[in-house]
Amino acid sequence: MASGTSDRLARSRKRRTLKKNLVAYSFIAPNFIGFAVFTLVPITFAFLLAFLEWDGNNPIKFVGLENFQALVKDKFFIASLKNTIIYSVGTVPLTLVTSLGLAIILNKEIKGRAFFRTLGFFPYVASLVAVTSVWTMVFHSSKGPVNAILYYLFNVPKEKLPNWFTGNLVLVMLILFSVWRFMGYYMVMFLAGLQTIPRELYEAGTIDGANAWQRFRYITLPGLKPTTFLVSVMLTINCFKIYDIAVMLAGGSTNTLSVSSMVLVYYIYQNAFNFWKLGYSSAVAMVLFVLVLTVTLIQFRGQSKYANE
Amino acid sequence: MKRKVLVLLLCLSLAVTMLAGCSSQPGSVTATPTTAPSDGGSQTPEDKITLKWALWDYDSTPYWGALIEEYKKVKPNVTIEYTDLGSTDYMTVLAAELSGSGSEFDVVTIKDVPGYATLVQKNTLEPLEPYIQAAGIDLSLFGGITDQVTVDGKLYELPFRSDFWVIFYNKDVFDRAGVDYPTNDMTFEEYDELARKVTDTTFGSEVYGAHYHTWRSAVQLFGILDGKHSILDSDYSFFEPYYNMVLNQMKDGVAMPYTDVSTEGLHYSAAFANGNIAMLNMGSWFIATLISSLEKGDYDPELCGNWGIVKYPHAEGVEPGSTLGTITGLSITAVSDHKQEAFEFIKWVSGPEGAAVMARTGNFPAISTEEVKSIIAGLNGFPKDEQSKEALEVSNLYLEVPYAPNVSEINAILDTYHKMIMSGEISVEEGIAAMNEEVAKLKK
Amino acid sequence: MVSNKALKFLSKTILYLILAIMTAIMILPFLWMLSSSVKLDREVFNMNPFVWIPENPRWKNYVDIWTKVPFFKYVQNTVFLTIVVTGLQILTSSFAAYAFAKLDFSHKNRIFFAYIATIAMPWQVYMVPQFLMMRSFGLNDKLLAIICLQAFSAFGVFLMRQFYLSIPDSLCEAARIDGMSEYGIYAKIMLPLSKPAIATLTIFTFVATWNDYLGPLIYLKSQDKKTIQLGLKMFINQYSSEYGLIMAGSVMSLIPVIIVFLALQKYFVEGIASTGIKG
Repeated sequence: MASGTSDRLARSRKRRTLKKNLVAYSFIAPNFIGFAVFTLVPITFAFLLAFLEWDGNNPIKFVGLENFQALVKDKFFIASLKNTIIYSVGTVPLTLVTSLGLAIILNKEIKGRAFFRTLGFFPYVASLVAVTSVWTMVFHSSKGPVNAILYYLFNVPKEKLPNWFTGNLVLVMLILFSVWRFMGYYMVMFLAGLQTIPRELYEAGTIDGANAWQRFRYITLPGLKPTTFLVSVMLTINCFKIYDIAVMLAGGSTNTLSVSSMVLVYYIYQNAFNFWKLGYSSAVAMVLFVLVLTVTLIQFRGQSKYANE
Repeated sequence: MKRKVLVLLLCLSLAVTMLAGCSSQPGSVTATPTTAPSDGGSQTPEDKITLKWALWDYDSTPYWGALIEEYKKVKPNVTIEYTDLGSTDYMTVLAAELSGSGSEFDVVTIKDVPGYATLVQKNTLEPLEPYIQAAGIDLSLFGGITDQVTVDGKLYELPFRSDFWVIFYNKDVFDRAGVDYPTNDMTFEEYDELARKVTDTTFGSEVYGAHYHTWRSAVQLFGILDGKHSILDSDYSFFEPYYNMVLNQMKDGVAMPYTDVSTEGLHYSAAFANGNIAMLNMGSWFIATLISSLEKGDYDPELCGNWGIVKYPHAEGVEPGSTLGTITGLSITAVSDHKQEAFEFIKWVSGPEGAAVMARTGNFPAISTEEVKSIIAGLNGFPKDEQSKEALEVSNLYLEVPYAPNVSEINAILDTYHKMIMSGEISVEEGIAAMNEEVAKLKK
Repeated sequence: MVSNKALKFLSKTILYLILAIMTAIMILPFLWMLSSSVKLDREVFNMNPFVWIPENPRWKNYVDIWTKVPFFKYVQNTVFLTIVVTGLQILTSSFAAYAFAKLDFSHKNRIFFAYIATIAMPWQVYMVPQFLMMRSFGLNDKLLAIICLQAFSAFGVFLMRQFYLSIPDSLCEAARIDGMSEYGIYAKIMLPLSKPAIATLTIFTFVATWNDYLGPLIYLKSQDKKTIQLGLKMFINQYSSEYGLIMAGSVMSLIPVIIVFLALQKYFVEGIASTGIKG
């Protein structure tokens, strides 16, 4: 009798767990099936491809590490890696500073706060093709308003007017554009972070006679540490993935990037869809992945550190 | 219990697929515009075949439709169904379409040689020799251009359009400046001099003596006209004098700066239609565009209605009439189920009958005969002067890019350094040195 | 006291000054876009004198854009894609997120790890194999490809889960005791509570799908499948010197996103606050 009850109990517990699992899986399934098929499978494939030589039609050949060895000697790959890193190093701090500044201002009780918050987000929601075409016009080397201002107001001679979309300036242009486009977005993240700092801290600070700068330095900044950290990681990852901004600002009519503006994703695309060197393209993609992974690992480290604080 | 949840799961996934299925419909309904099967084709119902054809810019290119219409009259039982892949990145898109298995195309149009090389190496095209021999086609009609795209003794495309580069000029601009028109026999020095003479650098009402589109062909390929060089050489020092000429022109305001043309993505047709460009070097396809755009009122005849053409300038001691050529061809896919019928079609298009259709729409067929030239020169809207008519005579035609296994990579290398030289990022010498180095690496 | 007041006034002034400059930087490109969209091509770059509103605004630009390219088709495709993707994304990820946040089941952590690991994986790393796979499914040049590509993102699941975690478990427990099924709890309790998160996800997905360029570039080839971004880019290449028209097209492409954003923005900061940060 006793053993029968426990048996039945065990069985019903088992049945209950099974039911629980199935209910949970039914929740996950619609998303997970799509996710597994369209994301997990290709990712696995991408890893394999980096060690193969394949053009999409002819028989696949295993080449081991050859693709990676070729990368080291590839001038275009090195240029694209370099450009991607320079671009990220320029964009991340500038965006951080401007978006944090904006967030702090817009966290105050000022008139039209909602309006300004909305406005800051405009460049991010606007279509890239549209805003880049404005930028190419505004910074047009001989007709654009920016150079017109330099010419008329600052008397910069005609032949010294900058060509914003070539040479070293092109990366500066990409950085400026990205800061403009993304600062509103990260501002919102900082705004959210600011909400988590308890008001009492500021009140206590004011009572203790701390001035605005001191309150910022000793209350706001430490309070925002986790947010700043997360934002910089997200930003860095997004910067590594730059493609369409570069093509649209620097690609010209042929949508091609030269050595001075080539970025990793462009090189991945070119090798895959123009040269059909799929294995090689995947090897470049793996370099991108390692870059992102490094940043993510740093984030995990940092996060656990901040979580403990 | 388990079954119940399984059923639920099934239902869910079904719902998702159904939703997805429904959602794909608006796209697929209008997927491939089909030309209606002809009425007269009913006598041989068992032979009814559909050929799928890949092409670009159907709406703005008159000859696609004309060819399909005409062929319907010749072969009523064959329906040609076209898919418009757009002209931007056409060859890239086509290569993607033909990758792996499962392509539906029977006939594909080949827009350029680098793209052709890619498709040949991917083994996606059918070698045409057996068919050509069986049909007894005389390849010498194509004036030797088929040799330049023959791969290891095998030919994979039949050209049906062959364009050559000429100088387009705006007579009004010359008249206003009081300068004589360009001629069919100009050396590069004379050309440069003329461009400078007609230029006006007055701010706000600039007139440019010459205009160069961003393509590298527009500058680099002046160098191959003497017949001694090709872009497959690994030494590109022969580009140098032409880079210097063009860069100096840009520096002196004779031509629009490259950076402006490039950032704006200024199309050559738009530049010429603005009426402030005296001379433009461009392919003969622009003749048809000019004629039809002026006729439709897209271009202002006040600005560019009075145009003419002359032969390309030539280096000292080279015969006038040497110019660059670009061919457009048709190929059969390796996976086609109707290879014989597909061949019949491309044979017809590239043959004399197709050529007549091409000429009628203002385009240059690959088999160029005197008759074709007089059809084009007689078109309404073609310039009436003798010089323009004479300019259609080509003495030597060099393909912009001949076939080579690595040609798409070579092309990309030359493109990237062309861009850097033209925008002044690096000097001409540095650029050419870099081209030499990178292309040599490929050949190794 | 007086000096204190003056100081406050001064700091307020500086604050507004900074704001004014920021606003100018943010909005000037858009004003330029609007202004150019009603100008003749040669007026666009007329700098001396520069006018914001031309004497004879050329509204025809807004008419021409519909006839010069199949703009309507592009709009149709983009609207369709955006709505389906956003809908599917919200539905499936809030569904899955509920399980991850509120249910216990075997392999939960392992499955969730698969999601987390791919968030950091740039799409560009696997876009080529993904393309080959989709091709073999016959999805090349199908709108469905973009839907499959965008609708099941790990990001959505992650975002919704973070939000659900902030909802107290006791709510669900109480409902369970009342005999409500998990589906009921999800539909009747969680969904209504998660408006800010849904708004945030909607904006993100909507903006990303509407503005996506590389995805459609790889998958959508034929003219009648193109999205606004591809069409606009093609249009710019083709009519490169018709600045007025290009700007008119650009303005049109902005309107829907801006409407969606304005409609949902009040939930937005709240949404991000409760989802993104504490991850």
